[in-house]
Amino acid sequence: MKICERHLRKFILDDLDKETLSKKLVQLGHENEIINDIIDIELTPNRGDCLSLLGIARDLNVFYKTNLNLPIYQNEIEHFNLQFKNEAETECPSINFLNISVKNLPEKYISEVESYFIDLNLKKNNFFTDISNYVAYEMGQPTHCYDSEKIDGSITLSKENTNENFLTLLDQDISLKGSSLIFRDNKNIINLAGIIGGKKTSCGSQTKNVIVESAYFNPESIIGKSIKYNINSEAAHKFERGVDPLMQEKALRRFIYLVEQHVEIENLKLYKYSNADFKNNELDSNISNINKILGTDIKQEDYLEILVKLGFKIDGKIIVPSYRFDIRHQNDLAEEIARTIGYDKIKPIDFKPIINTSTRDLSEDKLKQFLKDNGFYEVINTPFAKKSNKNSITIDNPLDINKNSFRSDLSSSLISNLDFNEKRQKDSIKLFEISDIYSLKDELMYEKKFSILVSGRQGHNYLEFTKKLDEDYLVSLFRKLDFDIKPFISSFDRQKIDSKIKNPIFLFEIRLDEFINQLNLNNVELKNKIKFKPYKEISEYPSTYRDISFAFSDTALIKKLENIIDKYDNISLKESFVFDYYNDIKSNRIKLGFRFIFQNQEDTLTDEAVDIIMDEIIEIALTQGDIEIPGLNK
Amino acid sequence: MSDVKKIIEPKLSFDQGSIHPINQVKDHIISFLESKGFLHISGPEIETEKYNFDMLNIESSHPARQMHDTFYVNNKSHVLRTHTSPVQIRGMLSSEPPISFISAGKVYRKDDDSTHLPMFHQIEGIYINENVNFGNLKSIIYEIIAFIFGSDVDIRFRPSYFPFTEPSAEVDIRSKEGKWLEVLGCGIVNPIVLKNCKIDSNKFSGFAFGLGIERIAMLKFGVNDIREFYKSNLDFLNQFK
Repeated sequence: MKICERHLRKFILDDLDKETLSKKLVQLGHENEIINDIIDIELTPNRGDCLSLLGIARDLNVFYKTNLNLPIYQNEIEHFNLQFKNEAETECPSINFLNISVKNLPEKYISEVESYFIDLNLKKNNFFTDISNYVAYEMGQPTHCYDSEKIDGSITLSKENTNENFLTLLDQDISLKGSSLIFRDNKNIINLAGIIGGKKTSCGSQTKNVIVESAYFNPESIIGKSIKYNINSEAAHKFERGVDPLMQEKALRRFIYLVEQHVEIENLKLYKYSNADFKNNELDSNISNINKILGTDIKQEDYLEILVKLGFKIDGKIIVPSYRFDIRHQNDLAEEIARTIGYDKIKPIDFKPIINTSTRDLSEDKLKQFLKDNGFYEVINTPFAKKSNKNSITIDNPLDINKNSFRSDLSSSLISNLDFNEKRQKDSIKLFEISDIYSLKDELMYEKKFSILVSGRQGHNYLEFTKKLDEDYLVSLFRKLDFDIKPFISSFDRQKIDSKIKNPIFLFEIRLDEFINQLNLNNVELKNKIKFKPYKEISEYPSTYRDISFAFSDTALIKKLENIIDKYDNISLKESFVFDYYNDIKSNRIKLGFRFIFQNQEDTLTDEAVDIIMDEIIEIALTQGDIEIPGLNK
Repeated sequence: MSDVKKIIEPKLSFDQGSIHPINQVKDHIISFLESKGFLHISGPEIETEKYNFDMLNIESSHPARQMHDTFYVNNKSHVLRTHTSPVQIRGMLSSEPPISFISAGKVYRKDDDSTHLPMFHQIEGIYINENVNFGNLKSIIYEIIAFIFGSDVDIRFRPSYFPFTEPSAEVDIRSKEGKWLEVLGCGIVNPIVLKNCKIDSNKFSGFAFGLGIERIAMLKFGVNDIREFYKSNLDFLNQFK
């Protein structure tokens, strides 16, 4: 909610320092940002009472001297003989209609109304609608203005299931669906109650005779409707959060007062409807309840003083003001006190931990550690997938039609992960995932599953570089845990994915508990201490690589070459490793092959750019001793 | 004897994989809370409205119950849990106080942009005993924040609103740039929730807290886009060895 600090000053008599004001609002639970004179306040959903200048000022009354009494029209008003039928008393227990007509329309607005539009950069509509909007801004009570001469006969409010179309005053044509709370005259729907009025009875620039409706709608009857029909409605937002059930007539009297400030009123009549006597909540006033909840030592008189400043009345019991419908029990009062004294003023108090004797089963952690130690990456995938299985769980309101189901296996997600990484030139892929999988047969079922996938090279070192990740690899890996995995492994047909890579894909998926029960994890040591190293942005540009072999006889050159390449630093060099090592003892000749992988953060690397880096590496390498590079033109 | 010179071969470095950073952060916090006596319990990700909303005092008029915030499944018979709190409801229903639980796992909201995902992770804790107060809550929150962010970080408690706690608070930490960053929500368990779980609210009270794991991971690792966690990009995962 945006308000102007200058407008708030109308209620607050003390000097307002913006920084202090901002801090006080945060202390009260109203996170905010003040830019120039505009205070943008993020209100919590339970504080509908603060959706106005008056509401914010009422809260600030605990810190500042205020005047919360807005001038209103005080005289008695003649009864308005409106033909109104309320067929939705539960949804709308209280409603007033004001009939007001004026002799002329104003040429300009009084300064406080004018500054509302200018300071908040709002568009004017017509005189009565502008006054209505201003009253809602000041007092939080939305009102709606009908052009009196466009209403045909009586008005009825009802909750109906109708499929009629309704043209809003903003020219939005809505097809009503399901249950709607609507106002009708004898011919048409004239208002989607609490949300937006209709075009047919809307006021225009020349309207001089209006019926102003001021109602209390139960939040449940309004909530969700503006989103359903894609209507941006400030009134709906206020009714959804809840308005003061005793504010309806007062808002109309403020409306009259403001009209009177502009022009001469010709006719004034008021129709009042209420089917229920409002009763304020009453709560026990003993401070011990509050101190017990907060762990504080607040005195009774200080407690009551705070509540009085917040608009509560004390009459033996605590009488909750009508606009604080969120206050229902002692914990609510405790929050009132806590936010007034400041949450930061409440001291931490040690408490006695409850010692749980059960010990956590570490098998899953050990399995993950084992896989991590063997070069596997754990992935977490979102479970949304296109429905492909009659037993899979259907999402009624999916984000998109291709994500209309909960996945029924983990393997499909791992295949997608493989494809994603192969497209980014990854040639050694070892992945696993552990997650619950849900299904619906006779009833909703779920089981925790484990899935693993391998494809490509076994690793980036000279022993594993030419070896493939295959069935034998998985078998020998899990043999270390005394488990024969062979019967569970399956190969995945690459034809099913759009991939030019030929490496075979092997995977398996199994219930985690059944799997873990068969593993010998005794020798796996848990050593995973989290390291919070700053993350480096990853590049979306393709990588490229160069291989180079060095031939030499001096064995000391192995270490020398490794060292200089380890130390070589270039922003485009992402990774380097020895992929080939051969020691021909007979001919006393050693071959050492390095792979260099390059990738840029900002753009795609050109061959020329890579060649320049490679030339530099070669030049440094050749200074280390008698080294030959087979195939290199000297 | 001939003089045999030992050759020092090239070093053999075997690739290390990684545990997903979100699970690393989750396990890190779970271990700490277990050391404080909290018992780790789990529950289903597909829940009934009763456990996800009703028992937690989330009324039918609450925005979270609208179709735009919650995923409904199988003809609205169930929902994808929008928080891990229903696990605590199940825990409270099956135990007698004093109790202290934590629950952690995936939760779902109908959101998808650079700061929100339809799936994310939470850790929540609840402690119910006699005479539990807001001061006790502050004590555990200070310990959690110190454990995650260090003991010298500035902390701010400010009032907030959760239907299942009253009073409720958001807890912010101050960044190096001086900005307040929201890191967790907490409060005194609403007596209505205790009553729903057949716990005598005149005798027992409690506190509860909840953290978004992605939020913590983003702050601790400096990841700016939450979506990076779930692309399964090996270049990304490789940084969390």
